Parts: sequence; C-alpha cells; structure tokens
Amino acid sequence: MTARAGGRARRLAGVRPRAFALALPAALAFVTFSIVPLLAVLRYATWRWSGTTEPVAVGAANLLRLLRDDALWSSLGTTVAFALIALPAFLTLSLAIALAIEGLRLERAIKALLFAPGLITVGGSAIAWYLLYNPDFGVVPELTGLILPWTSRPWAALLYVVLFTLWQQTGYGVLVTSAALRGIPREVKEAARVDGARDDQVRRLVVIPMLAPTLLFLTIIGTVISLQSYTAVYLLTRGGPFGSTRVLGYYLYETAFERYELGYGAAITLFVLAITLLVAYLQARILARRGAAEAST
Amino acid sequence: MILMRLVTAAFCAFVALPLVWLAYAAFIPAEALVRANLATFGFSLENFAALHATGLWRAMGVSFAATGLVVAAQLAFGLGAAYAIRNGLRMLGLVMLLLALPSELLLVPLYRLLQGMALLDTIGALVVPFLASPLVVFLLLQALRRVPWEVVEAARLDGAGEVTIVHRVVAPILRPEMTATAVLAFAAHWNLVLYPRIMTTEALWTVQAFLTELLRARPFEWGLLGAAALVASLPLLVLYVAFEKRIIEVFESGFRS
Repeated sequence: MTARAGGRARRLAGVRPRAFALALPAALAFVTFSIVPLLAVLRYATWRWSGTTEPVAVGAANLLRLLRDDALWSSLGTTVAFALIALPAFLTLSLAIALAIEGLRLERAIKALLFAPGLITVGGSAIAWYLLYNPDFGVVPELTGLILPWTSRPWAALLYVVLFTLWQQTGYGVLVTSAALRGIPREVKEAARVDGARDDQVRRLVVIPMLAPTLLFLTIIGTVISLQSYTAVYLLTRGGPFGSTRVLGYYLYETAFERYELGYGAAITLFVLAITLLVAYLQARILARRGAAEAST
Repeated sequence: MILMRLVTAAFCAFVALPLVWLAYAAFIPAEALVRANLATFGFSLENFAALHATGLWRAMGVSFAATGLVVAAQLAFGLGAAYAIRNGLRMLGLVMLLLALPSELLLVPLYRLLQGMALLDTIGALVVPFLASPLVVFLLLQALRRVPWEVVEAARLDGAGEVTIVHRVVAPILRPEMTATAVLAFAAHWNLVLYPRIMTTEALWTVQAFLTELLRARPFEWGLLGAAALVASLPLLVLYVAFEKRIIEVFESGFRS
C-alpha cells in the first residue's frame, strides 16, 4: 500500500526510474575515468615511481616532502597572485562590457567576437601572440615601441599569461553576465526610473546588486580557470623566466612528466585537490550566508 | 557609460588583433624572416606549400579522428544522462562537481589507468577517458528543461519505450541545442594541449602538440608558423562562424538561472 502510494507520488513528481538506465553509460564513464582515478591518487602518492618502472612503496615520504618543497609553495604563491590579478579584471570586464553593449545594434557581433578566442585552436593563438608580442622581434614592439618584457621580467611574464587568459575567457564572462541582465524584469528598472532615478543610478543601485549571484558564479568559474591556467603557461612561458609563471598545475605537470617523478606528482595532485576543495568550501559558505541573508530580509 | 564603452572598444581591439594577425601572417613571404622587416611584408602562398613537409596534415587527421569520436560519444551519452536527470535521477551534483575540478588533477592517475589498460600511445588514450563530458550533460539538461514535457508524456501514452522517446522525440526537438553543444565539445577536446603530449608520442601527435613543437623548433619562420596556425584554426573558425548565433544562445540560456 505504502509502496504503491510512494510510486504514485513519484510519478506525480515526474520521477521515472525506467529512464534512469539511460544515464548508465555516462555514469560509468564518470566513475571509471574521473572518480576512481581521483581516489587512486591516494595510493599513487605513496609510491616512488618514474612512470615506466615498477612503483616502489615509500609510505608518507612524498607527503612529507610537500611540506618542505619550496618550489611547491612558491608555485602556490604564483597561482594566488595569478588569481588576484586575473579575477578582479575578469569580473570588472565582464560586467562593464555586458552593461555597455546591452541593447546596442552591435551587441551580437561584439559577443561573437569576444567568445571566439575561447573556441579557436589554442596552439594557433599561442603562435599569433608569440609573433605579435615577442619583445625581441614582435610586430607590436616593432611598430609601436611598446614592449612587455615577458621573456626577462617575472612580473611581465605573469601579466602576459594573465592577459592571454583574459583574452581567451572574458567572452564567457560577458555572455553569462549578459544573460543575467536579460533576466532582470523591465518593470524593476522602470519603477526605479519613475521614482526619479537617473540611468547611472538605476545601474548602480538596482541592476548591479541584482547581478550579485551572477558575479559570485563568475568568481567560482574564474577560480577554476585560475587553477587550470597551466595550459596557457605551457604554451607561452613554460614556467619561466626564473620560475615566475610556474603555477601549481604547471609544477605538477613538470614534476610528473618532465622529471618523471609520478609518485611525487600524485602527492602534488592531492595538494591541488585539497586547495580546490578548500576554495570550493569557502565559496559555498559565502553562498549559503548570502542565501540566509536574503531569506531573512 | 562613456568609460564603459571605451573599455569595451579597447578590449574588442585587443581581442581582435591576434585574430586579424592570424589571418594575415599566413601570407607573409619568406623574405620577411627573422626580423620584422616591415618593408618586405606582402602577399604569398608559398607558406601553405611548405606545410606539406611538416606533418601538419597527419596531426590534423589524428585530431579529427579522436575529436570526432569523442563528440559523438559525448552527445549520445550526455543526452541519455540529461534525460535521466530530467526524469528525477539525482546525478546533477556529481556533474557539477566534475565541472568544477581543474583538469590537471587527472593527469597522473589517468596515466596509470591507461598504462594498465595498455592504451598509452594509442588513439584510445585520446578517446576513451573522454566518452562523457559534464559540460555536455549540463548544457543538454538546461535545454531539456525548456522542452514542453507533454510531448514526452504523449509518447509514453502511445506506448513508446524510453530509448525510443529519446531517439525519436527528444533528440529531434533538441537538434539546434545539440549542434551548438557539439561545437563546444569539439573545441574543448580539439584544444587539449598537455594531455595528448603526455599520453601519446610523435606518431599520434594532435594539432596542438604539433603546433607547440613547430613553434619550439622553428620560431623564426613567421610565414610557416602563420600558415600552420591558420590552417589548424580553420575547422573551428568555420564551425564557429556557421553556428555562432546558436552557440551563443545555447551558452547564454544554459547559464541564465
């Protein structure tokens, strides 16, 4: 009786267990190639292992090594610096551009342009950047005299990687912000205008506060982008000069696959995973607190 | 507002410059080598002829094969998963978790797993771990939520099985969204850089591995580099230009909530 009632309740809620089987291939792929490997890292982190020879168990040696590995901690610092420059720029640009193009005739064309770098062949983009901005013979330094010395100066190299990342990813931010803008009901803005607010006041006091959840969402996306900036680093600077652009992900890659210390690479993987989870936890707490604040008002 | 417009204009120029350069550099004649001797810039097709000897075509073939297989699997599996979630399966949490994981976390463990499966340095290494994509599941689920569910209920009353419903009812309705999602999935896999370098050797180099190696080995041959970069970018450029409107719509509506 209760089972039947439960079945009916589920059917009313649109729950169809027979359709669940269709998720099986994807679920199997996620478990086999993401979840299980992530858990297995715990075991690999206890190995000394070059990737081609048989692994040797070394207990907690790799994990202890994490604590006194200066290169690891300085790469954490580089990652944080990267995020501290890239995130505010990413949010500001997404917001400013989405607001500026709202309702323009060129809106669609601008969005198409800004979204393009994230899709086109990344190796080709890296070549274009190299030929344009190389301090020694790039087109922009030759034509304008403006040189960003990213091959020799640490600060310039980090900035260069940040600029490339912004070049690639800001289009996503603009699209997401612009979608949220369109979700704001017109009546809300008109009501503010009827109350005597000027256009810039409507924007500052009505529209931008309503975009807060979107900006928080973009912060989370931006954090993931910062944590996986190692591809841009590999393409542009290979961690140099003097290790100044060696972000966590790149250090992981270098250790495991250029110095062939995969066991220690697994330990670094655990370190990066811990950082990721910590950041995700903090962001979830901020989200929850915001939710509570909104519920109480 | 004026400031925001100026920022927008400046940023658009910043974004456009490398794209314009990509289109132009391919046609620089070989005399303009080594230094930017701007007087010698001109128009030439010789760079494209020189590409033959570089192995670009082979790399394009590998990339097309691997990415094509991956996109087909991701769409099929992703649609199944999205449909199951739309029908009440609690799997969205897992999908969002996977979406938020930085990709470098899987490099070491996948290397071990593929080694155990004897897939290292095979085309399987480029395909098998990518059979399902959390982004594809997420975008298709958002699209499914806009489908009027009476259509599915009606098909059920007619006695259609779940597979038939997905195949014959849902998939045709979602065709525009699936096309756009396919282009995004194509770009994501096509643009992998370090993963293919780690898991395969030269015979199976993808376009990205090839391009980074070309830049490393011949950094002064601008025309050749430009031509290689342009040819390698063409497939995605064509796909993007053809489906740009749809891609942007699907992406925007995917993140509206």
